[in-house]
Amino acid sequence: MKFKINRDHFANGLAQVLNVVGSKATMPILSNVLIEAEKDQISLTTTNLDLGIRCKIKAEVKETGSVTLPVKRLAGIVRELPNVDVTFDGSPNHQVKLTSGGSTFRIMGIGKEDFPPLPEFGDEKAYALEQSELATMLKSVAYAQSTDETRYILNGVYFSFKDGKLALVATDGRRLAMIAKEMEVPAASAGAIILPAKTVGELTRLLDKGAKVKINFNERRAAFQIGTDKDTSGLIDSVYLYSKVVEGNYPNYQQVIPKETHQRIKLERELFQQCVHRAALVCSEKANSVKIKLTSNLLEITAQSPDFGEAHESMAIGYSGPDLQVAFNPQFILDPLRALAKDEVFFEVKDEVSPGVFKTLESFVCVIMPVRLS
Amino acid sequence: MPLPTIVPTPALPTVVHLDADAFFVSCELALKPELRGTKCAVGGRERGIISSASYEARACGVYTPMPTQRALRICPDLIMLPHTSGLYSKVSRQMFDLCETLTPLVQRNSIDEGYLDLGPCGLTSSAEIEARVRALQRRLAVELQLPVSFGVATNKLISQIASKLRKPRGFVVVPPGTEEDFLAPLSIGKLPGIGAKTEAALAVRGVKVIADITARDESELKSLFGDGWREMLATARGQDDRAVHTDHDDAKSYSQQETFFEDVADFAEIERVAKRMVDELLPKVRADQKRVRTMTVKIRYPDFTQETHGRSLAAATDLEAPFYPLVAPLLREAWRKKRPLRLVSVRFSNVEDGGQQLEMFAELDEKRRRLAGVLDRLNSGKQNTTVVRHGHQL
Repeated sequence: MKFKINRDHFANGLAQVLNVVGSKATMPILSNVLIEAEKDQISLTTTNLDLGIRCKIKAEVKETGSVTLPVKRLAGIVRELPNVDVTFDGSPNHQVKLTSGGSTFRIMGIGKEDFPPLPEFGDEKAYALEQSELATMLKSVAYAQSTDETRYILNGVYFSFKDGKLALVATDGRRLAMIAKEMEVPAASAGAIILPAKTVGELTRLLDKGAKVKINFNERRAAFQIGTDKDTSGLIDSVYLYSKVVEGNYPNYQQVIPKETHQRIKLERELFQQCVHRAALVCSEKANSVKIKLTSNLLEITAQSPDFGEAHESMAIGYSGPDLQVAFNPQFILDPLRALAKDEVFFEVKDEVSPGVFKTLESFVCVIMPVRLS
Repeated sequence: MPLPTIVPTPALPTVVHLDADAFFVSCELALKPELRGTKCAVGGRERGIISSASYEARACGVYTPMPTQRALRICPDLIMLPHTSGLYSKVSRQMFDLCETLTPLVQRNSIDEGYLDLGPCGLTSSAEIEARVRALQRRLAVELQLPVSFGVATNKLISQIASKLRKPRGFVVVPPGTEEDFLAPLSIGKLPGIGAKTEAALAVRGVKVIADITARDESELKSLFGDGWREMLATARGQDDRAVHTDHDDAKSYSQQETFFEDVADFAEIERVAKRMVDELLPKVRADQKRVRTMTVKIRYPDFTQETHGRSLAAATDLEAPFYPLVAPLLREAWRKKRPLRLVSVRFSNVEDGGQQLEMFAELDEKRRRLAGVLDRLNSGKQNTTVVRHGHQL
């Protein structure tokens, strides 16, 4: 195999697939990227068996062929090459000669025979979405995923295509974020998957390269074809992301979203975020909560840790309900506020042991459980 | 304006150390006065150890913590009394409550000893202080039938050594300024930090009584005690400026252990015992309004070698249920040898209090907490009786 390629395009392509590598001990080839040269493009593929990514970059292919090379070190070298023109020259013994300006590298590769192929999808359930929209939706909920491995069902984002809408849900058992959008869901294509946290991270990173993203899924796996029509650094066609899904039943999340509204306040998102952030500066691992107190037209935020000190913040708000106070983990308040883009959010509270609920005028809900102070 | 003159307060012996005599036995004798004057001891029967022995038993050579079997060999007419659950902490509470009628500055060191500081009581003479403390000693003897020894001095070090000097029912006052003289003739083993081994090693080098320390010069002390020689010299001179602390630390862990009547080889039996400990410890955690996160199981083989294994939950809890599934795996991890066990213990640590993060999918936990609250109330009625047990105890 032999091809000429633009250094920055090559580096950009490698950066897309770089994060997905398997453990070296069990299958050394999973640390490698599969490079396949054909017609006027090369494709780069990495996989850790649970998750795989493939992208295509334009190149001047003189001789087709394939090889696998250690992806981390290759990416490191390509980034540093002195000249924008790079020649990639493979040999039958899987040794690759990389030349650029006055630099020459010889890199030992492994043949593609042992590289596990990415499963291709047939006639699964398929949807097309706007990339920017899916990116916003993922950002609105992803922070609420659980990282507790003993609750593996919650280690991901739940995608539900049902009842004429797509809902994305994430929860760690203490807070839950959900965002929905209306779309046509044919009865035969209705269904749901739990996309693993790692895949959610990669998908979020890959989105916004073009207009559309196509989703295919069945009950065991999912695939995303991410269009690259907005990309200007060598990517062509689409980036293909394949992933196993988390198998199991997602908890009945609807039951934890309060049906009734008790006290609703409208908040300037950034101002509230800044106040909570400042108050939380006195929190400690052992005293990790901020108290929200509502009185007539006033919202007060207090925090204290016994061995450090205390903080008090106040905001004028429109409120005429009964006095009440409730404490939350400050992170649970800050995460949705940071993820949202609207200037105003609604916050609903009831009492000190009932959840707080963030809402926006879109179909966004974030339920956060309080901290019960003894 | 003239500056106020500062009148130096004359030193008064306001620091008092109290140490209950043969505490567990005294508590039992208060309930069983007919046993007064007999050789008796509280402790585990058969395979346990002596927790506390009466002075009559001590005269026969019974001491704490001697294995019960050996105690019965050297003192065949020893009357063994089983532990009465809950009694000692109750009497201890009553004892310190009485102390608090004298001064608010009470430091509880353990179940049966502590310090009082009479500084804030406005007493102006040593005689006044002595009279108040003697009155307290009498009240403890009359109201609780509890013999308690007292040391009265200007600091904690001296009062603690003084209280142990004439047990039982001791009462030793060390007048201010006489601390060094008071210590001088005592054996160096009386000083904190000098155990039997150090004492023997120092005796070889000619240091037997505390005066032998104060008589040495700097270079000799350095060679005897190394870098810590200054502290040792200050201690030997009776100097100590530690204050009496009133705030007693919260429990850092909750634990329970059981030595078996006979070695046990049956896994199910051991598991049952460990689960019972879980059932008995969590109500205490709840009563203290705490939560615990880590459970550690310890097992001991007949040759006294032991193993421990522990595991932590993702979040602290005050319920039994999350710990049950850990009992068997932890036991298996600890109990690797194919030999029976003489002891098993369960310990909960990583104690948390303060705000509790509520969970979403936890209706079951709330039900369990309500149920646990009801069980705790039912079981707290009478001393030493469990009204309701968990199924796995039957």
